[in-house]
Amino acid sequence: SRVEQERLLSQSSTLYVGNLSFYTTEEQIHELFSKCGDVKRIIMGLDKFTRTPCGFCFVEFYLRSDAENAIRFVNGTRLDDRIVRTDWDAGFVEGRQYGRG
Amino acid sequence: RRRVVSEQAEIEDRLESLIIRVGDKTSSSLESNLEGLASVLEADMNTYKSKILRILSECPIQMPEKCTIYSTLVGLLNAKNYNFGGEFVEQMVRNLKEALREGQWESARLIVRFISDMVNCHIVSASSLLQLYDSFIDAAMEQGVPQVRRDWYMYALLTALPWVGRELFEKKENDLERIMAAMEGYLRRRNTAHVAALRVWNCDTPHPQEEYLECLWAQVRKLRTDEWQERHIYRPYLAFDSILSEALQHNLPVILPPPHTASTQYPLPWVVFRMFDYTDCPEAGPLLPGTHSVERYLIEEHLHQIVTRHHNERKELATQLLAFPQRNKIPLEYMIVEVLFSELFHMPSPRYLEISYGCTLIELCKLQPSTMPQVLAQATELLYERIDTMNATCFDRFVSWFSYHLSNFQFRWSWDDWQNCLSLEKDHPKAKFVSEVFGKCLRLSYYKRVNEMVPECYSPLLPPKPEPYFKYQTEGGNSLPGATQVQALTELLRKKPTPEEVLELIQQLPNPLKDDDGDMEPSHNPLAIEVFVQTLLHLGSKSFTHTFAGLAKYHSVFKNICENEEAQICMLRQVYELWQHHPQFLGVVVDKMLKTQIVECCAVANWIFSRDMAPEFTRSYIWEILHLTIRKMNKHVVRLEKEVADARAKLRAAPSDSESSDDDPNRETGEKRRRTVSNKDTPKDGEEQPTEEMVERMEERLEAAQSDQKNLFLIVFQRFIMILSEHVVRCDTDGKDFNTFWYQWTVGRLQQVFMAHHEQVEKYSQTLETLLFTHDLDSNILDTFRQFQALRS
Repeated sequence: SRVEQERLLSQSSTLYVGNLSFYTTEEQIHELFSKCGDVKRIIMGLDKFTRTPCGFCFVEFYLRSDAENAIRFVNGTRLDDRIVRTDWDAGFVEGRQYGRG
Repeated sequence: RRRVVSEQAEIEDRLESLIIRVGDKTSSSLESNLEGLASVLEADMNTYKSKILRILSECPIQMPEKCTIYSTLVGLLNAKNYNFGGEFVEQMVRNLKEALREGQWESARLIVRFISDMVNCHIVSASSLLQLYDSFIDAAMEQGVPQVRRDWYMYALLTALPWVGRELFEKKENDLERIMAAMEGYLRRRNTAHVAALRVWNCDTPHPQEEYLECLWAQVRKLRTDEWQERHIYRPYLAFDSILSEALQHNLPVILPPPHTASTQYPLPWVVFRMFDYTDCPEAGPLLPGTHSVERYLIEEHLHQIVTRHHNERKELATQLLAFPQRNKIPLEYMIVEVLFSELFHMPSPRYLEISYGCTLIELCKLQPSTMPQVLAQATELLYERIDTMNATCFDRFVSWFSYHLSNFQFRWSWDDWQNCLSLEKDHPKAKFVSEVFGKCLRLSYYKRVNEMVPECYSPLLPPKPEPYFKYQTEGGNSLPGATQVQALTELLRKKPTPEEVLELIQQLPNPLKDDDGDMEPSHNPLAIEVFVQTLLHLGSKSFTHTFAGLAKYHSVFKNICENEEAQICMLRQVYELWQHHPQFLGVVVDKMLKTQIVECCAVANWIFSRDMAPEFTRSYIWEILHLTIRKMNKHVVRLEKEVADARAKLRAAPSDSESSDDDPNRETGEKRRRTVSNKDTPKDGEEQPTEEMVERMEERLEAAQSDQKNLFLIVFQRFIMILSEHVVRCDTDGKDFNTFWYQWTVGRLQQVFMAHHEQVEKYSQTLETLLFTHDLDSNILDTFRQFQALRS
């Protein structure tokens, strides 16, 4: 439900990161987002059919406050010459890494 | 009735918003705004007095840059309503006392400054302000208390003087002189051993790097020779002189500083960062105030306050910095850049996340593309030129900022200008800087990109392509010991075996540590570790996620074959061998191994100082790993400390069953406080009441953790001392100068450990002094410890 979704978003420490280059690697994302705090895991978004990166990922921090800092300081800056977009995510669930490609 | 309540709330909100926004940009003049607001407040005074008092007393502290606007407003109110003025003064005094008691030093300082400014508006009498100053002077002269405490009282006074100096000079010249003389005496007798540890550059050319109190003292002294006339503070009260001079003044009550207690924390000293003087700025533009002019201090403080207020919104921060009120009278871009770098390089640590400064600088470049990028490039140039005297901590921050900045601007830089670094030794800070920047750029982009961005002649400084080095696949790899088992294990792992199956395979490997006749069982099997670690990590080398999956799945195998420290060091050596060309990967794997307790902190520390890592010793990533290791340990201890403290507090607050009535007011507030502290997991917390026994067990765990922490620091510092002492002795016997780049880097890294973890190291200061930093030590090494001790002396 919507209420439940909002509750999850307000407590989440996971970010949806979009507008990445298809060539941007997990390592690069880790390097950038680690500047805001300890990164727990990164799940690369993959094309449903080719299973190759397709421009988005999920970044999960250990702490919500670190994720907040990533929204403040990383959102709108560049990685691989592309403007990174970050948004709150309610938390990664297996299967969601497969995008439209 | 509800309507009345909501109407009241509405009016209160409106008043609050009017007070908060006064002095912000409007079409009408500030004077008429102030006059209007004073009338509005005066009219509503009877109904909303407590609300008005509260907001008015908070604003000058929350928005210190508007200090004089609020003092004028209160002055006007006092002229209209003497009683209100009196109550306001009482409120400020209460706030000051509370801030002093609670150790909110910055608030307390701003209140003192505001009270001083109230003298200018005829709210507070000059003589009673002097009385307050005298009691601060007494606090600064007190014997047997830490210097940081005495310094604060001095600092609070010195920073207030630019506001009220002229008024006191006109009315109470003798008293002012007496206070100045007392300050001079204090400053002359002060210990400044900490300065060396806090300086960004260990050298005073081209600009002296002065200790904050000494610099401020020089600026205030200069102000005195100018007969206390400064040109920065905007003083709206001057326009209301006729009204204000009629008003009656209030006397401050006697305010006695609360006594020092062992648990009181005071602000640490710092060194004023300077990178520009007027010759760096364009000739045609406004002049940069000199280093000892009080305007330099006032403008810098104002800029720092803008940073404080907007540090979480980089766009707003950049906008506000560029909209600085007197922007046409100063070379604003230069001052902004200097202030932001002074925050970034602040020792021991910056106020805010390093990246927040980086992205603010990016915003500034975007907002002011005609000037900002050039000034920033000029700053970078200066920092690079002076990098050979920069401390190791700031060196790292500079590398990290610059590579990040480049990554946001297509890695464009005029590298040709820095070719002089190519003819220098590899450990020279300039060469080191360039190669570390390449390394960090590599992490944010990819090899080909970085390769293209730098001119070819820089290739000796370019790190190797970051990829795993799997020796079994190199030439002759087949004949390496364990090569067949590596192959077998690779095949096995592809079938996703259980940890037991893996263990069975590697346990068949012969142990090279086992000698033929001895029946002593070796502590570990290096060959088994080698085969397992190399193979598993190589198979997972595609990404962090792949590697983490392998570590998680075969966690029990690691635990089984890497039980003790020797085994763990052996394992780290294998991780290094595989990831030697990819420092980021190496760091992330070690970090994960620490988190999953495959390896212990002490093993990492001993590995870093081991002979195998000697060639890497001056590279930054090694120290990144050491610091993340120490931080891990510190976090663990801090978490346990908090747990114990919380549980203890709960135990104390908990009433025994008989008196748990709901109307006990103490209980109510205790409950509330707890809720605000840990609102995330309140429901659970509320239910679970710790028992004495549980708390004792927690304390035991904490003690064990503290003992581990102490041990880790002892290892780190002892290894530093050993490696440095050996170097000095070796140079001595060889008749060489010991002061090499290697030596400077290593001392710098030792200093960095003290600085980066000072709060935790502090707890073991005594032990370190008795066990390690003894008088017979080389004085250069001992100095780093003395400087650290002086931080809080």
